[in-house]
Amino acid sequence: MADLSVNICGVQFKNPVLAASGTFGFGREYDTVYDISALGGISSKGLTLEERLGNPVPRIAEGRSVILNAVGLQNPGVEEFIRKDLEWLKSKRVVVIANVAGRTLEDYGAICKRLNGLVDMVELNISCPNVKSGGMAFGIQPQSVQCVTQEAKRNLPDTPLIVKLSPNVESIAVNARAAEAGGADCISLINTLTGMVIDIERRRPLIANNTGGVSGAGIKPIAVRMVYEASQAVHIPVIGMGGIQTAEDAIEFMIAGAAAVQVGTANFTDTMAMPKIIAGMNRWCDAHGIEKISSLTGTLTLNGK
Amino acid sequence: MKKDIAVTVRENVPVAENIYKMTLFSEELPKDIGAGQFLNLSVGDSSHLLRRPLGIMAHTQNTVTVCYQVKGEGTQMLAQKEAGDQLTCLLPLGNGFVLDESAKKVAVIGGGVGIFPLISVLNAYRGQKNFVSYIGFRNLAATCMLDELSACDKLTISTDDGSYGKKGNAVQAFLADYETEMPDEIIACGPPVMLRVLKAELSARKIDTHCLVSLEERMGCGIGACLVCVCKTTDGKNARVCKNGPVFDIREVEL
Repeated sequence: MADLSVNICGVQFKNPVLAASGTFGFGREYDTVYDISALGGISSKGLTLEERLGNPVPRIAEGRSVILNAVGLQNPGVEEFIRKDLEWLKSKRVVVIANVAGRTLEDYGAICKRLNGLVDMVELNISCPNVKSGGMAFGIQPQSVQCVTQEAKRNLPDTPLIVKLSPNVESIAVNARAAEAGGADCISLINTLTGMVIDIERRRPLIANNTGGVSGAGIKPIAVRMVYEASQAVHIPVIGMGGIQTAEDAIEFMIAGAAAVQVGTANFTDTMAMPKIIAGMNRWCDAHGIEKISSLTGTLTLNGK
Repeated sequence: MKKDIAVTVRENVPVAENIYKMTLFSEELPKDIGAGQFLNLSVGDSSHLLRRPLGIMAHTQNTVTVCYQVKGEGTQMLAQKEAGDQLTCLLPLGNGFVLDESAKKVAVIGGGVGIFPLISVLNAYRGQKNFVSYIGFRNLAATCMLDELSACDKLTISTDDGSYGKKGNAVQAFLADYETEMPDEIIACGPPVMLRVLKAELSARKIDTHCLVSLEERMGCGIGACLVCVCKTTDGKNARVCKNGPVFDIREVEL
């Protein structure tokens, strides 16, 4: 049995496998299939100050080895989350990460202020491609990444801040540094890539929102490259995600530079994906004589070096 | 209790044009499968990441039977599966049809692939209810499950082009018969347009008979976490088709 625990920004995780925001709700539904206390942590569905109803349906479509979604941040609002779900989630003894989004800089500040000290970590969603204002708009230009990070961190004196980066940018390294300069304690990446699938009989996009965020196994090489580049660019920890389906995928991300990983789409393919990944990482470590999984982080050597 | 289990294909046969019937075997099947519930089935190909939500038509202790229409790559993959192939499935999911205990006569309105979950209701309540059914197909080539449907006390089949049964659709056949039959409860499943017309007609004719409808939507997780498969409710909110449904009171949802 290897030691799977990791420590990120002073927060102790029993293992480095976290549920990615938007695929796992607040954990209650998956807890009816397996005990979610097996997980390292959960990043909540993206929360906004007020309730949001999200986009029209269909909100999901499939491509080969990928899916596209455009849910549009449907959520009950941060107060409802605090009132109805937070205590329950804490009782499951997993690291609770509140993923937050806003339309304006002030929204981001206000929601962070509300959550300061209540959750283990806050993950700033500045990379949602499926809402018209806010979301990804804050995540593209490095100046705005730094600005929204500063506003969030100013309101989170007691809670570590993760900034979730968009891959739909000119330079992931530049944006990672912008988040660090703004005061981020950690970065996570990648959010989904913007894409489209078309029903050729109707000559219309399959998703009501026309475009959607592409995720799943097919985006993994892009995500691994970006996690590597971002982790080389900053001195803060990196949480990696994008197409992780197996323990080997998760280990690949850690070698690239991730201190922990998030799993999203794979939960749809296999409801039991995360417990299987955790068990598989344990086996892999044992087979490779790795005593502490955290020792894998950032151990990549490039060819020619 | 929901279970995500490996299942073995027992049978996978065409039953109408582009419609297949698949029976899956497992000794681990949950015991509490209810009428109108569904399962989320892998298509057995690693490049297809989403499962296919399919209404359960019949089940025994170790088998569960679904029908599906071949529409895209995923269902084409499913159609190629043979007896002995392994798939995975999560079940039982959603809220099924729970009929009023006091209802003696139940009208069953089904269209196209919507008939399959309704057949599970006929099986579950066999001998307890008087079923008067109105089933619509596109044409003769699309007709299927006629033996299963013949278990109804009264059955009216219609096709859009009149190539089998009455010409017209299931809702028209139901409305033409309503005054004569006066059912105590109505259950329906079929294409969105069929359910929309049914809701509008019930409202226009001031028919307040309790009516349950089963909805279909593209899904992600199948258990209510991802908020992909929502429908609008009449109180202006969203309901999750997979968790709050797929069966809803017709008055509670916008169609």
